[in-house]
Amino acid sequence: MNWSLESAETAAAPQRGGSEMDEFIRRNVMMVKLEDMVAWGRKNSIWPFNFGLSCCYVEMATAFTSRHDLARFGAEVIRGTPRQADMIVIAGTVFRKMAPVVKQLYDQLLEPKWVISMGSCANSGGMYDIYSVVQGVDKFLPVDVYVSGCPPRPEALLQGLLLLQESIGKQRRPLSWVINEQGIIQREENQVQRVIRGPERIAATELRSPDEV
Amino acid sequence: MRVPSTVSVTENLNAPVGVAAVEYLRAVFGDSILYEQVTCDAIPTLWFAREDIQRALTLVREQPFAGKRFEMLLDLTAIDERVRVNRTGQPASEFTVVYHLMSFSGNGDLRLKVPLFDNDLHLPTATVLWPNANWYEREVWDMFGIRFDGHPNLYRLVLPPTWEGHALRKEHPARATEMDPFTLDDAQTDIQQEALKFKPEEWGMKRASEDSEFMFLNLGPNHPSVHGAFRIAVQLDGEILVDAVPDIGYHHRGAEKMGERQSWHTFIPYTDRIDYLGGVMNNLPYVMAVEKMAGIEVPERVKVIRVMLSEMFRICSHLLFYGTFAQDVGQLSPIFYMFVERERIFNIIESICGARMHPGWFRIGGVAQDLPQGWELRVRELLDFMPARLDEYDSMVLNNGILKRRTQGVGAYTTQDAFDWGVTGAGLRATGYEWDMRKQRPYSGYENFEFDVPIAANGDCYDRCAVRVEEMRQSLRIIKQCVDNMPSGDYKSSHPLTTPPRKEKTMQDIETLINHFLSVSWGPVIPPNEVSMSIEATKGINSYYLISDGNTTSYRTRIRTPSFAHLQMIPAISRGFMVSDLIAIIASIDFVMADVDR
Repeated sequence: MNWSLESAETAAAPQRGGSEMDEFIRRNVMMVKLEDMVAWGRKNSIWPFNFGLSCCYVEMATAFTSRHDLARFGAEVIRGTPRQADMIVIAGTVFRKMAPVVKQLYDQLLEPKWVISMGSCANSGGMYDIYSVVQGVDKFLPVDVYVSGCPPRPEALLQGLLLLQESIGKQRRPLSWVINEQGIIQREENQVQRVIRGPERIAATELRSPDEV
Repeated sequence: MRVPSTVSVTENLNAPVGVAAVEYLRAVFGDSILYEQVTCDAIPTLWFAREDIQRALTLVREQPFAGKRFEMLLDLTAIDERVRVNRTGQPASEFTVVYHLMSFSGNGDLRLKVPLFDNDLHLPTATVLWPNANWYEREVWDMFGIRFDGHPNLYRLVLPPTWEGHALRKEHPARATEMDPFTLDDAQTDIQQEALKFKPEEWGMKRASEDSEFMFLNLGPNHPSVHGAFRIAVQLDGEILVDAVPDIGYHHRGAEKMGERQSWHTFIPYTDRIDYLGGVMNNLPYVMAVEKMAGIEVPERVKVIRVMLSEMFRICSHLLFYGTFAQDVGQLSPIFYMFVERERIFNIIESICGARMHPGWFRIGGVAQDLPQGWELRVRELLDFMPARLDEYDSMVLNNGILKRRTQGVGAYTTQDAFDWGVTGAGLRATGYEWDMRKQRPYSGYENFEFDVPIAANGDCYDRCAVRVEEMRQSLRIIKQCVDNMPSGDYKSSHPLTTPPRKEKTMQDIETLINHFLSVSWGPVIPPNEVSMSIEATKGINSYYLISDGNTTSYRTRIRTPSFAHLQMIPAISRGFMVSDLIAIIASIDFVMADVDR
């Protein structure tokens, strides 16, 4: 399912020969499959859980505020309790003392739920290969999107969110509870961004000089 | 900004109060003083036997020296000496406990050390003298396994209660990848959760009063109002707070152990992440401490660049505090305005350093690169823009009647309380005590700047906020002086231990090539010494106590952070208030958990 808004000036004029009723239907009625509609709704109304561990959370909070405005992507309803949220951003270092708490919070999230791992620490332990740090949150949670950076810029988190939305929009889930196999259909595998964007990045020959602002 | 003078930090530290204290202790203890150590930071350092330390500490606490007192136990830590090579003259010791005392009125320091042996690791507690010794001693027990006799609750503080071993002992593995892979199945989760459960009886709390049952409320470690992974268990009578027990360690990244593994140069990025709102300001005490041991004098331009960037980060950090403080007492809008200003400052920082929050941009002997062309314009734009915004925020936040009623008279403490609990920074100045490291012990050329030290009178939540707001204006003043008077010259010292070395001194011939190669691959070798270097960080006194054993890495890196001390004080200042006041108190402290747990 795909549609977009168009401005009033450039919108196609009512077509000659068609009845007013045809035009009314064209503009107001959509024929879609219910599961497509649900997937589209899910994609555009992610409710994140207000959860932060360390430095990355500050950049995540920056993404909520005016300059970056997460609300543009329908993900601004920050919930204070996991029971009302369906997405958790693991923003920061996952500590061994904190890991059982993170796991409990994840378990309390509503199904269907998604995990964004934000920043090097949550991705892999990053620069903290140290006794008190879990080497990546994927040691005990399933991760949907990894956002790299230390900490990632707010824009990077937004990109991660868009990738997650894209992926959610392609998922088809049963419309009610299902016992045993959940019957989730992943239309296509999540792409590795390094593979997609790599050639473009490597092709860059002129980098901005650090000597100028 | 005045012409640079030659005030050195060392002169400040050789203050009369320290000299008088040493003379007094000599007269009392005579030959019982095991050793008088000389360190390059010129802090008088005396070694005492375990039997004498409590008496020595008591005397230092009670006695005035040259009319001044040592008001604060600034730091208490330990050193695992078992594999240290260069300790000529020092008494035999396997584990040394270090007390760092500070006199504010006399502007001097004193360091006392106690040698201990692995088979007999215990000494008397100092909690009877300074209440803030409580957490420091628990941390030493947690990290080194040294027992403090008479400590009221010597439990682990930082590592999980189920942890085995003591992390800062040299035999404890440093890397997670040296240990068994981490797993977390349901059974283990239950064990860990059970271990974390708050048991009021352990803290001497009774469950009931005469006619009512207390309620125990667990706040955190994940709660929107505790500013990170921090947990506080509170005992409530109705909505009145009877007692509280803060629980930390959910944000321990092992920075001190990391310091023993990274080279002097490659530890710099880790310092950024200590007070993660302070950015490059965290680099400053560390690089200055290393420079002191290496004997590096940095050029004037470097000093001013460092000051300018540090003050920008001070504003960034205070803006975040300001916004979240208002938010925690119920004003949702200000933070959305304040983050716009933060972004503007980050734009400048990014154009200078190439990164936003953690540039890691200072270097041993300089900074990473020179200022880019056109930087003045950007900074001047900020200087034009900010003051009006700050005035607007005054009317929006500080003059707001509801905010005043929520925060005035809440969480107040006196200057003496602040000393007892190790409170520094805005928390100390809000009690009316004018003490700023930048004024009292100028470093990095702060003596050449004109700025005021804002203070308040009541020491409550509102005053702590008001002091920080005024500090932002003073920071703008300092930044303006930096722009107006930026000295020309090098952005790096020509000292051979400067890392990385200056390009024109490298790869000229085989000698310079080898030197460059070693300095970049192994890193510089810093001569054996001990140094402690403090700065006025965004949240209070941040101090690095470094020990070099003549190697490419530090032998012991001790990071004294302000937030650690401040959090410990929460129960003392919140008793009798409501739960919602506790939130205002927590917000007014302005801490980040990385600055607490390191």
